[in-house]
Amino acid sequence: MHWFSESYMTDGAGAGPAAAPAYHPRMPKRTSTLRQLQDGLGEIGRSGLRSSIGWSTSWWHVVKVGALILVLALSPSTYDRANRGALARHLYLGIMPILPWFALLSAVISVVLIRIVVVTALSYGLSQYALEMVIRVLVLELIPLTAALFVALQITVPSGAALIRMHARGEFATLLRAGGDPLRHELMPRVVAGVFAVLMLAAVSCLIATLLAYAAVYGFTLGAFAGFTRAMGQIFDPGVTLILALKTLFFGLAVALIPVAAFLRAGGPRAASGSPELDSLVRLFAAILVIEVVSLVGNYS
Amino acid sequence: MDEPSPSPPDAPPPTPAHLEFKAGLLLLVLVLLVAGAGLYLSYARGAFDSTQRLVLVAEDSEGVAVGMDMTFAGFPIGRVRRIELGPDGNARIIIDVPVKDAHWLRTSSVFAMQRGVVGNTNIRAYSGVLSDPPLPDGAERTVLRGDAAAEIPQLMAQARQLLSNLNAISAEGSAINESLTNLKTFSAKLNAPGGAIGALLGGDAQAAKLVATLDRTNALLARLDGLAAKADTQVFGSDGVMRDARATIQQLNGVLGDARTSLQKVDAVLDEAKAVGANARVATTDLGTLRAEVETSLRNIDQLIGEVNRKWPFARDTELKLP
Repeated sequence: MHWFSESYMTDGAGAGPAAAPAYHPRMPKRTSTLRQLQDGLGEIGRSGLRSSIGWSTSWWHVVKVGALILVLALSPSTYDRANRGALARHLYLGIMPILPWFALLSAVISVVLIRIVVVTALSYGLSQYALEMVIRVLVLELIPLTAALFVALQITVPSGAALIRMHARGEFATLLRAGGDPLRHELMPRVVAGVFAVLMLAAVSCLIATLLAYAAVYGFTLGAFAGFTRAMGQIFDPGVTLILALKTLFFGLAVALIPVAAFLRAGGPRAASGSPELDSLVRLFAAILVIEVVSLVGNYS
Repeated sequence: MDEPSPSPPDAPPPTPAHLEFKAGLLLLVLVLLVAGAGLYLSYARGAFDSTQRLVLVAEDSEGVAVGMDMTFAGFPIGRVRRIELGPDGNARIIIDVPVKDAHWLRTSSVFAMQRGVVGNTNIRAYSGVLSDPPLPDGAERTVLRGDAAAEIPQLMAQARQLLSNLNAISAEGSAINESLTNLKTFSAKLNAPGGAIGALLGGDAQAAKLVATLDRTNALLARLDGLAAKADTQVFGSDGVMRDARATIQQLNGVLGDARTSLQKVDAVLDEAKAVGANARVATTDLGTLRAEVETSLRNIDQLIGEVNRKWPFARDTELKLP
């Protein structure tokens, strides 16, 4: 935690002239997201080899921050009264506005996909495989991915941007001087809330998609429940279940940690190389892609 | 370049009431969802069922996957738990059968593995006699293979043979063709005026003879009927034979009574003759005694004469002299 405190003691709150360049001039300006994307892409294209070296070393930074925040999240001493309040606030206010919308959206998309798969399977005379195909496509693959992307775009990337703005206003330095711990009170709750949001959205949407698949394949009757249960038992063997659980968890961790780690990097000497939001988005997509590919290899190889 | 100007602080959203409670509720919902999914999937995979084991031995386990079902009458009653290669080179498919479904499997059950042209492999159980003893735990059975793709060449060969047989049957001059022709002639004869009789006897002339025979038989029967009526009158009528016979029998009864009386008289005569015979027998016995006495007297006289001869001087020389 020492490097983190130093990083904040030396930046934007006027700690001295040497620290001033670290507080890069572009970030605090509230430019449009499109403008930021354009600038960031141009910057990445210009930076060349220097950028790629920084890219690889910064992953190590993400891992370090992630380990630190996870240790904090798993320590009971973290959950004092003030921190519990902050955590509850991030948990509730982060997910509640998007949960109904995401549930509705995923239900509509699920109905469309289920209908396509079931009708196609029927037309080929393979209706006995329709349910398995629907569950594999939706529950195992699409819904966790969609939930992770939705949480990233709606919660964690804006949350990282908010952290950068707070940093720019010098709130963390003020907090440190007052004896507080920004990592414990600001970063950890956001990360935990991000992981929780991914898990919650994925769980709710998987439940909805499963119910919709049952209704689409068997109709509104309970008579086929035994056969449905048996099919679910065949699909979710221990390996597939473990891969689904780990994949969703790692999606959550990637989505929650990478924007926060990008924010921390934004305070360092390489801050001027590009937009932290764009950097975190690219990094996020790369991480999600890697996790998805690894899970596919585990499931279907 | 402009100096960075700190942005105004973000306006915090209003804090809802009972925030910690609501966040806890969300956490609880997530925990319940995950735990419920875990329990449901465990139940779906049969973690709470008590099972018994069945080992199926197959030459080839291709297409069999861990977790696939074994069906009985289309209902899944078992699940493949493990596939291993046995020491004899055969595949051993280990199947868990829930105890509640195990009663469908009997010692006489047959297990078949069928692989369709499209789709996956199925393991099916057939129990012909459900009153046989139930299959014991850990039973080992050989599984029969029913590979549709492998059977196609054999099926084609059999179909070809069947078609050639059909050709031979339906060829011109074949036995079945001739039989059909004969059948046609027969049915034509059946429809002809002679009908079935003509068809059976082979010609209309024979059928006409049979009809004539039948007519004459009918006439004969009519005459026989009249004859029988007359015989009835002759025999059983008022002046019939029966009445005379009855009188004759009565007279015979009388004759027999007389004969019985005569016989009784003869019987008495015979009794008397019997008595005469008895007397004659007694008299014969006395005659024997008399004869014995006479013989004795004669012997005595003979003895006396001999004695006289020896003593008498005029005795003759009775001695025999040899020359």
